[in-house]
Amino acid sequence: MLKILIPTIMLFPTTWVINKKWLWPMTTTYSLMIALLSLLWFKWNMDIGWDFSNQFMAIDPLSSPLLILTCWLLPLMILASQNHISPEPIIRQRTYITLLISLQAFLIMAFSATEMIMFYIMFEATLIPTLIIITRWGNQTERLNAGTYFLFYTLIGSLPLLIALLLMQNNLGTLSMIIMQHSQLPNLTSWADNLWWLACLLAFLVKMPLYGIHLWLPKAHVEAPIAGSMILAAVLLKLGGYGMMRIIVMLNPLTKEMAYPFLILAIWGIIMTSSICLRQTDLKSLIAYSSVSHMGLVAGAILIQTPWSFAGAITLMIAHGLISSALFCLANTNYERIHSRTMLLARGMQIVLPLMATWWFFASLANLALPPTPNLMGELLIVTSLFNWSNWTMILSGLGMLITASYSLYMFLMTQHGPTPHHILSLNPNHTREHLLLSLHLIPVLLLMFKPELIWGWTL
Amino acid sequence: MFLWSCCGSRALGFLSFPHRCACLLGRRQGRAAVSSSSGAHARKRDFIQDLEKEFVKIRQKTKEALPGSGWSPLHQTPGLPPEWADIVIVGGGVIGWSTAYWLKKKEAIREGVRVVVIERDPTYAKASTVLSVGGIRQQFSRPENIHLSMQSAHFLRNIQEHLNVVNEEPVDIQFNPSGYLFLAGKEQSEILEENYRTQRAEGAAVTLLTPQQLQRRFPWINTDGITVASYGLENEGWFDPWLLLNAFRRKAISMGVYSCHGEVVGFQYSTRDMKTDDGRSVALKRIHHVNVRMPNSMEYQPVECALIINEAGAWSGKVAEMIGIGNGPEGTLEGIKLPVEPRKRYVYVFHCPHGPGLECPLIIDQKGVYFRREGLGGNYLGGLSPTEEEEPDISDLEVDYKYFDEAVWPNLAQRVPAFESLKLKSAWAGYYDYNTFDQNAIIGTHPLVTNMYFATGFSGHGLQHSPAVGRAIAELILDGKFKTLDLGAFDFIRFYRGNKVMENNIV
Repeated sequence: MLKILIPTIMLFPTTWVINKKWLWPMTTTYSLMIALLSLLWFKWNMDIGWDFSNQFMAIDPLSSPLLILTCWLLPLMILASQNHISPEPIIRQRTYITLLISLQAFLIMAFSATEMIMFYIMFEATLIPTLIIITRWGNQTERLNAGTYFLFYTLIGSLPLLIALLLMQNNLGTLSMIIMQHSQLPNLTSWADNLWWLACLLAFLVKMPLYGIHLWLPKAHVEAPIAGSMILAAVLLKLGGYGMMRIIVMLNPLTKEMAYPFLILAIWGIIMTSSICLRQTDLKSLIAYSSVSHMGLVAGAILIQTPWSFAGAITLMIAHGLISSALFCLANTNYERIHSRTMLLARGMQIVLPLMATWWFFASLANLALPPTPNLMGELLIVTSLFNWSNWTMILSGLGMLITASYSLYMFLMTQHGPTPHHILSLNPNHTREHLLLSLHLIPVLLLMFKPELIWGWTL
Repeated sequence: MFLWSCCGSRALGFLSFPHRCACLLGRRQGRAAVSSSSGAHARKRDFIQDLEKEFVKIRQKTKEALPGSGWSPLHQTPGLPPEWADIVIVGGGVIGWSTAYWLKKKEAIREGVRVVVIERDPTYAKASTVLSVGGIRQQFSRPENIHLSMQSAHFLRNIQEHLNVVNEEPVDIQFNPSGYLFLAGKEQSEILEENYRTQRAEGAAVTLLTPQQLQRRFPWINTDGITVASYGLENEGWFDPWLLLNAFRRKAISMGVYSCHGEVVGFQYSTRDMKTDDGRSVALKRIHHVNVRMPNSMEYQPVECALIINEAGAWSGKVAEMIGIGNGPEGTLEGIKLPVEPRKRYVYVFHCPHGPGLECPLIIDQKGVYFRREGLGGNYLGGLSPTEEEEPDISDLEVDYKYFDEAVWPNLAQRVPAFESLKLKSAWAGYYDYNTFDQNAIIGTHPLVTNMYFATGFSGHGLQHSPAVGRAIAELILDGKFKTLDLGAFDFIRFYRGNKVMENNIV
């Protein structure tokens, strides 16, 4: 554990001390080495629940895929930002990379925390670098609005969580996850206990996001620069899912009744946000709403708490993280050339950038959960477990998958096929860096097709 | 052709203002007076509009009542254009706003494209649009021009359907369908007849008149020296350009077009070196920011954009120079400037008590002198395009009255004897966005600046083509090619190849 965390923290002095010429190559290389080292975390010793542990941090099959995803994403973020940050003065470039590294450090500590309070503190700590990235390096005036929405939605959800955690600490005497999973909570019958249940979960539902409280996500994703969008879509949303999975095991038997409104919102949200995708004119906004749609499935799965649904939730979280981040990178390649995110103006790109069209194709297919991608594995497990829980959800989740397929195809056809406008014909060709970035996103998806056990978690 | 339709002549009777500027102000106030008085133009009291006025009043009252200053730590200059846009239209004349309207109309999904129109003078003091005589005719010799006019006339006929905004006053451009009358002497009669055949083939309703028919129809014309005349029967006449501009503008803004009062002072672009087939290296430019300077300030806002449409009228040449169109060795594609420059034209307003009556078309003599009726009080507008040698100085819009006495009046009096006793009331001058190459439009893309479109160089017939040209540019951008009218003949590359697209007019 420490052999990944300490090098991550040592990346801070690396960014500040290193020569200007070597800043980007070296940070990319070091973070890539840390990412490769983090693959060791996949090894799971089945006898003990938690592995790689020290006093405060441990890894189990739920956190290891998320941790590896976090570590994998840092070199990709640095690769993606290289072009648009390069005109800035060197100190600002170093600051930007520092923010990305600090996010990685906080996220590693968050996912590997064994104590809920540490998880909470790291959960809140990730807000600050993300807010700085969105409001300082975002492109338009709307980014201030986006930052405000992002910050306050998450804070309003998470302050009750602090109270709930302190209450739990008072009752149980500890908030260590290892001990809490064996605890028996006292009789929970009063109205205040319902509020306590809500307080525990609201932060994570806002973060996921749940359909009714999702407004911060399209704004934050659209206004953030590419690295901000990547980390938001890939990992920060999964913080919500991870937190929910950790804490919901302790919230029985209240969940049986309390979960209903949120389940309904989550599953209805799949259809609503997928339909909104079909009407989007802004490419990044389309991908952002698609994230909400997929996370609705995950939220629904976590709320019903069955072994298959948990496995499906984790699988979908990982697969969606990779693919969503890949789609944002693809949208960014368009944006860097045309300086506009509008889909109407960037059509027929296949003629001009054919290899990028291949990546678009693969990413769109994975987004619509084509077999045998892990996206499908996750969605299938979730839909099946939802069906088992209640037959009627099949209509909604099936319809949701259908609309997902249609907007993914719509996105692909709009950007790649169709008449090529005149101003697209002379775009700059793709950099090798962009191809590397996308292949590094999509090769893990390919590899996970062959060994999905790595990301199933511990329930299957 | 330039027109100034004097204010209030429709409802308040003719007001005699010696100076054009006073007339301009008077018109604005006159119109405001007409719309706010209940009189003949009473609208139904609209509940929503009154409610909104109440909200404004409430907001004003709370601002006064509650303590606190208007200071905000994030001070933003008012009136800045948005930081990004998809399409930036340089120039807020009738072509600019027409293009903005059509782009929004064709986008098929709400907020499909973000369009910003940048106009440096919202009073339109020197803009060609409002200083135009406002005529529309189909009697051109190029089929494209004929169709542009016909389709524009069709648009203007159905203007309520297109440009009406809910809860606002209906659009009225005061179209006078009086037609155009071209008079030709013996030398030009062949050209006129050939043009007539072209126009009929394209479907325009034009008729040829012999001098006898001409005399019967318009007894006040002196038909000496006229062999044949061509009279437009339909879709020809004149209208008020200010009202059309405002209609386009109001509708476009209601559809979500951003309007910015500022001046384009430069572009930020990136260059890419490419090689032609024969090995020569060429630099392709792509504009990614438009620097818009705020009025009376040095502050400028770079607007990030995907496409720029240069519709700056008489100043399109200057805008093109900002991106370096024309900076290159002579004879190469890089060295071709945008051949649009301002040319000053005068329009004279005169009064004649016993002149032609209501049935007076816009008459263009074989010498090029033109005049038309203005209003119902015996006033007329007329003028003459000066020859190349006599081109007036373009640095200001001062009128040369001697030109009227020497060049215009004698010809007018010769053609219409009643005009011997006319009295010159006032005059104004305006600019043509004159295409020095072939006096026809420049529509399309530039071969080297990949995301700049042009719609300029109309040389005096831009206003009448504005609806159709706006639609053509919107089709070019959003559909990738011209759909309803093929205006490929008006592209930029003809300057390099030397294909002149000339109008075979007798004027």
